[in-house]
Amino acid sequence: MEQFRKKLKTRIYLLLALSLLTALLGVYDVFFAPETLKNMKVFEFQMGATIAICILSLLIVFKYSNTLNDDNKLKLEYNKENDERTKAIKTKAGIPILPILSILMIISGIIAGYFNITVFYTLIIAAMCQVLISGMIKLIYMKRM
Amino acid sequence: MKTRIAELRKAKKISQEELALAVGVTRQTITSIEVEKYVASLPLAYKIARYFDLPIEEVFDFSQIDD
Repeated sequence: MEQFRKKLKTRIYLLLALSLLTALLGVYDVFFAPETLKNMKVFEFQMGATIAICILSLLIVFKYSNTLNDDNKLKLEYNKENDERTKAIKTKAGIPILPILSILMIISGIIAGYFNITVFYTLIIAAMCQVLISGMIKLIYMKRM
Repeated sequence: MKTRIAELRKAKKISQEELALAVGVTRQTITSIEVEKYVASLPLAYKIARYFDLPIEEVFDFSQIDD
């Protein structure tokens, strides 16, 4: 259990670093980004994604901090992460490969979007479809297993 | 696969949550095993049987498994 506690602490530090990075990027987007960039559709998407990642990271940090302070919650979280049925369902739904691929596609889409808007839409829609299909498969297997 | 988990649990007066916590899985997994939707792995079956102080074959019904 001590190892899991350390693992959660490491995750908290990484998430805090991510939220700080996204917060800095958000401040740049709002106050320092040139007007030519601000007029692009990709920029609005990037800003929204940055804010969402920042808020989500902070929420997860809050959840993990609560878990670390309560031994019962820690044990439940450990069981949840190491549960064999959940692992089997996740494997069938392509987790974590599909979400990782989708994140990479979204990042590439944002970068490519500054040069070609069609590539941006294509990559974002493909990434969303991937996540949606993975989620649907997960739901189906959660009912079946 | 048929099991006697629900029966043994009731005899011992413990909830699914308590059993799940003891064997290191979620409550949903215990439910799925009890309603025969999910077949437990050998390590999990061993942990459950050990929890009830019984041999695996007295908790899980292997009679329907093909040779």
